[in-house]
Order: sequence, then C-alpha cells, then structure tokens
Amino acid sequence: MARYQRVWAGLILCLMVGFPLETVADTGLRVQIVGSTTVLPVASRSAQKFMQSSKVRIIANAGGSGVGIHSVAQSRADIGMASREISPDEKIRFEKSNLITHPVGLDAVACMVSAEIYQAGVRHLTRREIAGIYMGKIRNWKEVGGPDREIVVIDKERHRGTRHVFMNYIFGNALQRTPGTLLVTGSNNEEQTKIAQSDSAIGMLSFAWINEQVKAVTLRDQGKEYLPTWKAVQQREYPIVRKLNFITAGEPRGEVKAFIDFVKGPEGQKIIEESGYIPIGGN
Amino acid sequence: MNFSFGNYLSSDCSAVRNWEPLGWVFAGMNFIFLTCTMGLATFLLVESIPVWRSEGLAFWLGENWWVGETFGALPMICGSFIVTGLAVLLVLPVALSGALFTSEYLTPPLRRRMKGIMEMLAGIPGIIYGLLGVSFLTAGVKDVFNLLDGNTLFTAGCLLAIMILPTVLTLSEDALRSVSSEFREAAEGLGLTKLQTAWRVVLPQSLPGIVGAVLLGIGRAMGETIAVMLVIGSLDRVPGFNIFVSGQTIPSKLGREAAEALGSAEHWSALMGLGFTLFLMVAFITICGNYFKYWSGR
Repeated sequence: MARYQRVWAGLILCLMVGFPLETVADTGLRVQIVGSTTVLPVASRSAQKFMQSSKVRIIANAGGSGVGIHSVAQSRADIGMASREISPDEKIRFEKSNLITHPVGLDAVACMVSAEIYQAGVRHLTRREIAGIYMGKIRNWKEVGGPDREIVVIDKERHRGTRHVFMNYIFGNALQRTPGTLLVTGSNNEEQTKIAQSDSAIGMLSFAWINEQVKAVTLRDQGKEYLPTWKAVQQREYPIVRKLNFITAGEPRGEVKAFIDFVKGPEGQKIIEESGYIPIGGN
Repeated sequence: MNFSFGNYLSSDCSAVRNWEPLGWVFAGMNFIFLTCTMGLATFLLVESIPVWRSEGLAFWLGENWWVGETFGALPMICGSFIVTGLAVLLVLPVALSGALFTSEYLTPPLRRRMKGIMEMLAGIPGIIYGLLGVSFLTAGVKDVFNLLDGNTLFTAGCLLAIMILPTVLTLSEDALRSVSSEFREAAEGLGLTKLQTAWRVVLPQSLPGIVGAVLLGIGRAMGETIAVMLVIGSLDRVPGFNIFVSGQTIPSKLGREAAEALGSAEHWSALMGLGFTLFLMVAFITICGNYFKYWSGR
C-alpha cells in the first residue's frame, strides 16, 4: 500500500512541477492576424507564400472586422483584418492605440438570394424593396415579383464588416436594427451555407461568395441599375464597394511591415485577384 | 452542491487527526476544485456588476438586447430553458429504454460492447454534432415539418438530445446495473417477469442514479455553445409557445458576441451577466435534482 502512496505522491508532484517547465519552449517570431472572414482568404494565402521565404510564423484567424479591430487595439494581434473602415466610435475608443489602416484590395458586397428565387424571376431589387424586406414590411417574394413564398431574411452579426457596408448603403446607417430578420449568421461561409440550404432566402455577401446556389441580384436605385459584376466595380459604378484593410496599432515594423508590404506588392496583389477581389493598384 | 460536505468535516473531526499525509494532498486537490467553482461564480458576479447596476432586474425581464443601449436577457433565458427542456423530453424515453435493455436483457459480452460504443460517443466534441446538424438536421426538420426554415429551437433541442443521449444512456445504465442482484433474484423468485422486474424493482431502486445522469446531461445541454449556435438561428426573440422558430440560448449568444465584446466594458459586463445567469440556472437545477435524490433515497 505504501508503495502506491509514493507513486501517487510522485505523480501529483510531477504534475505540479511539470507545468512551469513546459512554457519555456518556442520563441520563434510570430505574427498573429485576426479579423474579417472576407479578408481571411487573402491573409492566409499570402501567409503561406510569405512563409516559404521567411522564418516568421504567421497565424491567421477569423472573427469578423469588429474583432480584428478590437484585437489589434488591445495588442492581442499584430495585424487586424477589417472589411470596413474603422468606425468613429471605435476611433474614439481606441484613440490611444493609434490605429493605422493599410488598404490591400477592393471588394464589393452584393444582395444575395437563393438560386430558386433567382430562377423564379427575382433578378433585381430596389433599395427600397430590400429595406422593406429587412424592416419586415415585405414578407413574401410575390410582392417583389417572385413566387408566392415567405422570405427567409438573413442578417449578419452586428459587428461584421459586410453588414456595415451593406446596411450603410440600404439604410444609411451601419447599425440599423432590422426587425424583419429571421436568422442571424456570422462568417461569410456560414451565411452562404444558410442561403444555399434555403430556397427562399435573402442575404448579403461579398462577390467572392457567389456560386451556383447563391445568386447576386441587380440593384436598382433611382432609375439606375447596378449589375453585380466585377466590371461594374472596376468602372466604379457599383455602389457597395469597400476596401479590404489590414490594421496595425502604430506604424508597422519588422516582420509585420514586411508582410504588409508583401501583400501590397505584386505577389500579394496577384493573390488578391485569385481570391476574387480587386487589387488596390488596379482601379 | 454536495450535501454531505459540511457534515463530514464537522461531525468526523476525529478522522482528521488520523489522516495520513496523502490525505492532506487529496484535501488540497479538493480545495483546488472548490476554489475553481467559487472563483468562477465570484468572477462572473464581479465582472457583471456594471450591468446589474445599470439594468437591475430588467436584465432578466427585458426583451431587447441592443448593444450600447439596453441589455435584456429574456430571449436567451427562455431559449435556454426551452431547448434544454426539449432535449431532456426527447432523450428520456430513448435513454431509459436503451439503458433498461442494455442492463437487463443483454448478455455480459454484448453489454460490454454496447457500453464501449456509448462511452465512445459521449466523448465526441460539440462541433462535430453542430456540423452534422447544419448538414442534415436543419434540412430534415425543414422538410418534415414543412417550415420556412430549419434553423429553429426545435432543431437545437433535437441536436442536444442526440448529443446528451450517450451520456445519459451510459450513466443510467450504470445506475441500473448497480442495483444489487439480490433484488432481481428475489423478484424472480416471486415469479415476476423480466419486464416487471426491470420496471417495478430495478428502476425505482436506481432512480437517484438516473436523476444524476439526467442532471449531467442537462448540464452539458445547457452549456453547449457551438452546436447550438450553428442550428438555432441566433435571433434574439422571446419565442412564446412556438418552438418552430429561430431563437437564441445563453451560450450561443456568448459564442456570437464574446470576441466582439472583449475590451468594451459595458457589453462585456452584459455577457458576463449572461454567464452568471447561466451559472445560477445550472446551480438551481442541480440543487433541485439533488434534493429529489435525497428525498427519493429516504
């Protein structure tokens, strides 16, 4: 019995002593990137390329633009990704951190509908119609020229960059409350899945998330039509365009600067294009 | 939540003198656990003080959660109760029948295999269930009930039921199994059939253990974040009596907003208030369950 006791005591002692020893390892250079799921593909692909010729380890995580801005302001990340500008509110709150925006590309947000709705004839929506849908005044697709089916209104989490630019265009208020909402989603992938799974959904997503089951509608506003095409974005006609930003606290230095320069450089800009966005120099 | 804790220390003082050195180590470990629980409760309470100050009881009764203006947690509280209640309702018949069958009807080798499978399933993380839910359950619920959309409280309840089934099943089975075989033999001797024995003799005897199993299941269901978040629709709304609409639970709300709220004093404190509320809910249910055990054990 006594022998077992010693084993026990030994085990417990090991447990207590072992922990502090572990933390000494791993001192390589690290760059932590957090934020917008819209910018994430660019960051992670660039990071992969960048790490081929560098010892720096780059870790890119999702979370949304708001999270990206918070994290970098509170030094929980080296670079924040945001698919919108820093809001006035955030500017005041994080005044001390001296946040600097580094635009790396352009993106456009489309009003998306489920493929079934698109095929049933809803090819365009006016700004007023979209506003009506999100405010819960228009509840059936037949009111906007679609089939007789209730609308599954999909909104995004309040702090998401995509929501900010979209709501800003529709209502002129990025934080507009939308009582017509039926579902709230987070990342672009999540929203894309929910729109695709439904046969009567409306939502908001970057162009890069358009696919077979998730279709972008043409926007109509004051007699003008805005086709959701890259050509329209390049010609500066499409209205819901935004910059994809990297955000740092203070001027970037060392590896952080090297990485941002890489993304802004020719190789990085090619990745921007491959990810479905517009290079910042090419407009 | 342990009723016997106080009794042991006060009435068995003589035992303390006889403790061997290792006994103190064990006591120290137990103390770590106690500190964790108490520390968590204190942390949540202290962090949420600002929201209690600004909202008071309206925090529990308010229906609107508008960051920067007002924080009302009623939609999340209702959602948590509905989803957990639903999960328990759905899981009880399946788990109890399954446990009875495994414990009373199966031969020992088969039973061991069955237990292995149950325990394996009990260890699967929530995200796996969540992804399964997103891929199949939401679409299934939508089609079966002919709904506008499959992301509903009901879907979340079903998913949680599937999730806690292995835990409740295996622990209930343990409880049934732990009933002494003398009871079974006596019942057999009186000419009771297997079913009668199981239902009338074994089940009542093992009731406290089954309640414990269900409590653990409830704990897991109430705290589940990611699986629920993916299928519930995440809409802050008091659902009323319709379970086929989207809603929100406390953990799913925390999961959605925690990262955003870090560093924003007011919002963060509101989320901590939600956490504290959840803590109280789980504590309340556990205490009730333990009283029931105590009462039925007498």
